[in-house]
Amino acid sequence: MRLLANLALQNLGRRKARSLLLIAAVAIGSGVVFTGATLMRSIDDSMAVGFTRLGADMMVVPEGALTNITAALLTVEPTDLVLDADVLARAHIASLGRIAPQKIVRVEHSGVGGHHDLVDLIGIDPARDFTIQPWLKDKLNRDLRAGDVILGAGRDAPLGSQLLIFGKPHLIYGKLGRTGVGTHERGVFMSFATLEALAGSIPQHGDARPAVLSLGKVTGFLVELAPGATALQARFAILSAVKGAKVVTGDSSLSGIRQGLAALLQGILALMVLMFASMAVMVSVLFSAIVTERRGELGLLKAIGARRAQLVGMMVVEAVIATGVGGVLGVALGVLVMRLYERSLVYYLDNIGVPFVWLDLPQTVAYAAAAIVLASAIGALGALYPAWRASRRDAYELVRGEG
Amino acid sequence: MLACRQVSKSYRTERGIVTAVSGIDLDVAAGEFAAVIGRSGSGKSTLMAVIGGLSRPSGGTVTIDGTDLWRLSDNALSGFRNGKIGYVFQFASLLPTLRLIDNVALPAMLGRRHGASGSYARAAGLLERMGLGGYLDAYPSEISAGEQRRVAIARALINDPALLLADEPTSDLDEQTEGEIMNELLTINREVGTTLILVTHNLALAERAQQVVHIANGAIVA
Ligand SMILES: Nc1ncnc2c1ncn2[C@@H]1O[C@H](COP(=O)(O)OP(=O)(O)OP(=O)(O)O)[C@@H](O)[C@H]1O
Ligand SMILES: [Mg+2]
Repeated sequence: MRLLANLALQNLGRRKARSLLLIAAVAIGSGVVFTGATLMRSIDDSMAVGFTRLGADMMVVPEGALTNITAALLTVEPTDLVLDADVLARAHIASLGRIAPQKIVRVEHSGVGGHHDLVDLIGIDPARDFTIQPWLKDKLNRDLRAGDVILGAGRDAPLGSQLLIFGKPHLIYGKLGRTGVGTHERGVFMSFATLEALAGSIPQHGDARPAVLSLGKVTGFLVELAPGATALQARFAILSAVKGAKVVTGDSSLSGIRQGLAALLQGILALMVLMFASMAVMVSVLFSAIVTERRGELGLLKAIGARRAQLVGMMVVEAVIATGVGGVLGVALGVLVMRLYERSLVYYLDNIGVPFVWLDLPQTVAYAAAAIVLASAIGALGALYPAWRASRRDAYELVRGEG
Repeated sequence: MLACRQVSKSYRTERGIVTAVSGIDLDVAAGEFAAVIGRSGSGKSTLMAVIGGLSRPSGGTVTIDGTDLWRLSDNALSGFRNGKIGYVFQFASLLPTLRLIDNVALPAMLGRRHGASGSYARAAGLLERMGLGGYLDAYPSEISAGEQRRVAIARALINDPALLLADEPTSDLDEQTEGEIMNELLTINREVGTTLILVTHNLALAERAQQVVHIANGAIVA
């Protein structure tokens, strides 16, 4: 085996131009496939943020509140204005489905994060919430209790460890997956009861405690449309029933862009499959040419006593080394390209309302490994058949260059 | 040590079946030097390839030291070629990507009888003996045709073969070089006792053989 690997390496090393060309071709092919696959999955995941896991169809907030309508994931922004916790329930609006109230307090000097960091403490009703808990990536193996907090993906602390907020101990119950939306990423989530228990420790700003900490007040509601209801119906019903509220929906023009993007991705996918197939064909053609060109050497090796398996092994090892190195280079190239274009890509997607979420590291590594393994497998398969066929011939025929 | 019985070999070509060798009976004793002569195209190389286990005959048997060569499995035949037969081709036959020393050591490495260091020591000794001691690290493209032929002989000898087959090893070389190489082969035959079958156009040389095999149109003529 060492001997075979040595022979293969010698062959590659002494035929530098051809080896480099082969490696470059495989590198480009596998680089494109790896980069394409990673980007596609990332964009796909990001779009999933925009669609499936979006949760809320609209948001009801106090009239003067700031909202970020470009974000795909509707989130309530902290504000001093409040709504009554039961305004929507009282109105009995038929066009609404689930309704999830949220309280948000932005605090300083909380002990969480850096000293001057502003931290959003977000209260949810665990029983009614449908926009936060679906994002739980890791959690303790029990239900959420008083004193528990859930951290956004942008914060780091081990599950089950203690977190002091204004000196009061809390237990880290769970962590959210990445969404790319600021409030979601940096927030510290807890039940209303936990937030209320904290209220006394939150220093007062000037004259009064934040209004939202009062019982029966909320910052806003995330709401879902009832099946069959339209956003227009719901908006109308809400505005006529609730004074001083404003209804925020996701920008519907964005969905058109997203659909276009989805179609584009389909096209890229088809292109990638094509590219991959042509790479496989090219490599096999190349290797049958290489084997043909090297018949004489194979015959010679056979003449001096190499067994068929050794001949095939040598060619396959050579192919696997060349295409494997090509695969590694391709992945490296892909990573480089993605680094270079990261900013503009993220910016572009953000602009069309898709918060960009990179594929997480283990998955990216898996894709890289798959690209390299695939490239090597193509090399192995491309070399296997021609080498196997050549190895069947008489040594003398091979040496004379026939067949 | 060698017995050929009714050996024949035909090739299928587009113009029909070409019979290169037919009905050859040949016996060569151990330690003998046999010369094969004949015109170009008479079938000398074909016969050598069949004897050397490189080309499967269309009919007949080749027995070397009691082993019926062409009834061996493919792997066993490879092993037999490796251990028992040294073959020097009619044309340049070194692996271009390997150094001379690697080329010579390769059959020993494949046979795994001496270990890597033993194989390389033997290879170096043989190259030394062929007057190429200064070129161990050279590549085949860096030496002359005559030198390449010597390397091929060194490679053929590395596993101490019982049978050395040399197919016009000097066809494209000058007379002086031819003489040197032939002397080398004859010395090995005489001193080591290696059975030597040599294809040659040099009749003076053939006269020194214990047996002259004259081939015409694929058959032995008296
Ligand atoms: N692979 C092949 N396919 C078809 N015909 C072949 C093949 N190999 C050899 N022949 C034919 O067989 C005959 C014998 O060829 P061979 O090479 O054995 O001759 P030779 O005596 O060695 O000649 P030379 O002295 O030129 O080397 C020739 O007529 C040749 O054309
Ligand atoms: Mg010949």
